[in-house]
Amino acid sequence: MQTLQFLLSRLAKGILVVLAIVVLDFVLIHLAPGDPASVMAGESGATDEAFVQQLRVKFGLDQPFTTQLGLYIWGVVRLDLGFSHRQQMPVLDLVLDRLPATLLLTGAAFVFSLTVGVVMGAWAAAHKGRPLDRIITTVSLVFYATPLFWMALMAVLIFSVWLDWLPAFGLYDVGGNATLGERALDVARHLVLPAVTLGLFFTAVYVRMTRASMIEVARQDFVKTLRAKGLSERVILRRHVLRNAVLPVVTLAGVQAGQMVGGAVMTETVFAWPGIGRLMYEALIQRDYNLLLGVFVVSAAMVVVFNILTDLVYRMVDPRIEVSR
Amino acid sequence: MKKKLLGTLATSLLLACSLPGLAAAEPKEGGRANVVVQPEPPGLMLGILQNAPTQMVAGNIYEGLLRYDEKLNPKPQLATSWTISDDGKTYTFKLQKGVKWHDGKPFTAADVVFTADVFLRKTNPRTRASLAYVDTITAPDDETVVFQLKQPFGPFIRMFEVGTMPIVPKHIYEGTDFQANPANNTPIGTGPFKFAEWVKGSYIKLVKNPDYYEKGKPHLDEIYWHVIPDAAARAVAFETGKVDILPGGSVENFDVPRLAKTKNACITDKGWEFLAPQSWLWFNHRGGLTADVRFRKAVSYAIDRDFAREALWNGMGKVSTGPFADSTAFRDEKVLVNYSYDPAKAKALLKEMGYKGEPVRFTPMPYGETWMRWAEAIKQNLEDVGIKVDMITTDVAGWNKKLGDWDFDLSTTFLYQYGDPALGVSRAYVSSNIAKGSPFNNVGGYSNPEVDKLFADGAVAFPDSARQTIYSAVQKKLSDDAVYAWLIDLKFPTLTHCNVKNLITTGIGVNDGFKDAWIE
Amino acid sequence: MKAFWSRFRRHKAAVAGLVVVLLVVAIAIAAPYFYPVSPWKMVQRPFLPPFANPAVPLGTDTLGRNVASGLAYGARVSLLIGTVSTLVALAVGVPIGALAGYFGGVVDDVLMRFTEFFQTVPSFALAIVLVAIFQPSLFSIIIAIAIVGWPPVARLVRGEVMAQRQREYVEAAILAGQSHLTIITRQILPNVVSPIVVLASLMVASAILLESSLSFLGLGDPSIMSWGYMIGAARTVVRQAWWLSVFPGVAILISVLALNLVGEGLAEALDPRSSRDQA
Repeated sequence: MQTLQFLLSRLAKGILVVLAIVVLDFVLIHLAPGDPASVMAGESGATDEAFVQQLRVKFGLDQPFTTQLGLYIWGVVRLDLGFSHRQQMPVLDLVLDRLPATLLLTGAAFVFSLTVGVVMGAWAAAHKGRPLDRIITTVSLVFYATPLFWMALMAVLIFSVWLDWLPAFGLYDVGGNATLGERALDVARHLVLPAVTLGLFFTAVYVRMTRASMIEVARQDFVKTLRAKGLSERVILRRHVLRNAVLPVVTLAGVQAGQMVGGAVMTETVFAWPGIGRLMYEALIQRDYNLLLGVFVVSAAMVVVFNILTDLVYRMVDPRIEVSR
Repeated sequence: MKKKLLGTLATSLLLACSLPGLAAAEPKEGGRANVVVQPEPPGLMLGILQNAPTQMVAGNIYEGLLRYDEKLNPKPQLATSWTISDDGKTYTFKLQKGVKWHDGKPFTAADVVFTADVFLRKTNPRTRASLAYVDTITAPDDETVVFQLKQPFGPFIRMFEVGTMPIVPKHIYEGTDFQANPANNTPIGTGPFKFAEWVKGSYIKLVKNPDYYEKGKPHLDEIYWHVIPDAAARAVAFETGKVDILPGGSVENFDVPRLAKTKNACITDKGWEFLAPQSWLWFNHRGGLTADVRFRKAVSYAIDRDFAREALWNGMGKVSTGPFADSTAFRDEKVLVNYSYDPAKAKALLKEMGYKGEPVRFTPMPYGETWMRWAEAIKQNLEDVGIKVDMITTDVAGWNKKLGDWDFDLSTTFLYQYGDPALGVSRAYVSSNIAKGSPFNNVGGYSNPEVDKLFADGAVAFPDSARQTIYSAVQKKLSDDAVYAWLIDLKFPTLTHCNVKNLITTGIGVNDGFKDAWIE
Repeated sequence: MKAFWSRFRRHKAAVAGLVVVLLVVAIAIAAPYFYPVSPWKMVQRPFLPPFANPAVPLGTDTLGRNVASGLAYGARVSLLIGTVSTLVALAVGVPIGALAGYFGGVVDDVLMRFTEFFQTVPSFALAIVLVAIFQPSLFSIIIAIAIVGWPPVARLVRGEVMAQRQREYVEAAILAGQSHLTIITRQILPNVVSPIVVLASLMVASAILLESSLSFLGLGDPSIMSWGYMIGAARTVVRQAWWLSVFPGVAILISVLALNLVGEGLAEALDPRSSRDQA
């Protein structure tokens, strides 16, 4: 019951946050130089002021700024994210079209990085100061410090061009009449490289967080007590230290899970993955205001959801912390 | 086995494997062409959208009345024959018989009249400008269209390619709001391929038009246009065989020589003769240093174009010597000032004008790595002769805005010349095209009544010898004034796997549809 | 201070890290002495491989510019962007997180709503938009990186402080009548400093990487040579000229590694309990 109440209050606050973000983004985007009309006019190669003005009127850009903002918010409240004049489609359709691909990619990357990160981090902490620890921390650092696009390109070179094991880009092979099972397998094969590449960066973060946190917790008094009680080191580490150490990692992970949705721009670009990260970047480049705002609103909603989930996990991991104030 | 070493790419590779028209073998039917389209087009309605990716894909769906060969001579398409009256004012086209729109409705002269007189006048500013010379457009019968001009307009015969005047279906668009017509999402044309499917962010699928009026064509069953946003990934897609055709500009120039040497790769720089893209450096003539002809000349002398051609454009294209690109009609080399690389001359000119190191704002065109590297090289060239340059970068939308608002001193750019000075050259120099809002107007603000008059006269002079005299005079004037610093007449090489045959058969290249192409 | 230094010195790796960091700083300062001509100057033929010509030991790039010179000048920019943006992010994030975690209730609500507000926008997109609006320059890039960098700090500090807040020693300090400010700065923050330091050292690195991503999208400051710019520009020629991305990449890697080692050394040397352990 308490949990439900907590959920509802968080949800209400989340909606307010999303609305506030709509305002901020709306202002920011309209501050940027250029607008959709000038971009579309520019692309057509030759044009005149009258043509640009005609587009502006059509897109509603000639109205006062506050009117535009008001109309937009009214739309968002009714779950209407407007119309992309460039793509000639409703924004919501465009975003929902792309969302599954991103969720699949980030979900896979998230599970991969959190599992590998926590396991490796714990392993390193258990061997603190010994060669295994050094190897794990160094390798994770290398992954962290290598630019994502470089790593992605190398992965493609090795596994697609030279070894020819995995496809280099796209969500699935186009054409042909694949059965559902074949299609799923095909998507899974296409998923490996982008998910691992995207995940490796975050893996490195979780390795370091877990390790630091484990070492921190292992020094606390209650661990000494447990040791004095005669519990085996293995049990202490697994049952007690890890459980406490995972807390800051979960904090970070919850935050990043939401961020990943928007942060997958690079990965989606390099692997031609048809997700919303790329959609957002293209909308930004084209000053497709409505589409860009739509992506922001949807990914903001994602972050809110992930934050609530994080707090729920928090409550489960550490019941001492009161979250539902 | 060692790969064959090739000298300069431009010469040997082009000779090695680009003999499109001469394929003796019998075309093979069927198969799929996998092509890269970059960036993803905003839509495919060619009558409304004129950007490059739209033209490339939709050139298969829509057709113009004519096509043009590498020498820019007109060839039949929807029109089988045409006559121009002796006074140069009446153009009569006989249309193909038995042509059907993709939805099965018959194509008639009424569609052509509707397209030229109603649709494009409203949606296409460039076509609208040229149609200003047209008095009436009529259809005496279903298979004949007559354009009656107010006065002779020499370049008019070059206006009928698919990008400039794509014929659109009257029965779908008449009486509707063209831009908002839902049919724009399922384009209907007369072309060799029909629109089938568009998975946004992934691919566009076109399928063979079985009722195409040219019997036996097209040869391909389907075309997939793949959307791959990263240049390096596009190169990999070509290497791994996922795509067979990389149209010009779809991979970075630095990658072209490497890809051209991979197995089964063929390269050609043909298919750009009609568009004739020319790059130059805009000067803002409205004030400051760039309003001083000595400064403009100094900049023109300071830039090392040969270096840029070798280092950035793989030795392809030609160094520009004046405002008319190499394949544009009426170009006259003899009247031009020679602005080849001469830093000493540049320094002397700067000294003469008393230049004291005031900075100029350089806002380069942000069209990818090659263009940014080029901007850096130009900036360095200018600093080498003592000019202080503040480089201002922004994304494409920001650049459009800055240029469209005339907020710059120097900027790189390139424009298509469409084969004729009246269609593609004059727009950057005449004062009537000084208008805010687009980076492709006369944003430099060059305004010279003499030049305005020459361009106006040149457009309507008759016959061609009269035009030549006028255009020679205008080239001399522009060159003497160093109006802009002309850089390179560009070529964007097309890379294909060698089993793709007969892809480029006209001076418009891949934008002209794949009706002759086949895969071995 | 002396005691701290002697504790720090015990970590050989940390000392090695510090040496590397100082070396990079030295190179950054001395760049104009080694290479008096601008790193943008085209000095040799393009794509000259490394070790082929002693004048350009690390080869030349796509335009024939000296890679070694670019690395030296790039050290200045990358270090500046990394450290300044991280400091700004910490200056904003730590107080907000600490106050929220310590006081809880309405304060926590308001501050966390504020944090979420910034965090709910995809950070990379926010950075791009900010840089695009204010035009790419050193200043706008640093500010953009700091703005997207502080919320995770605040979240982390809040979580940590919240956990510490429940501990007996805080209750004891409150009972002893210490002011909230004293408790936060003297009692709690020293106990959460190690995750903050670890995060900060990673943030310096991610700032450098974020700058490279912005450069890669054409939103770098066009008049400064940074490692990020070099990698971004080398991206399309990775296949032909490995050295163009590997050298700046290794430069970033070494700097990040060194910063991390220093960070760990600091964490342990600053941690009152670890000194107890070792005493």
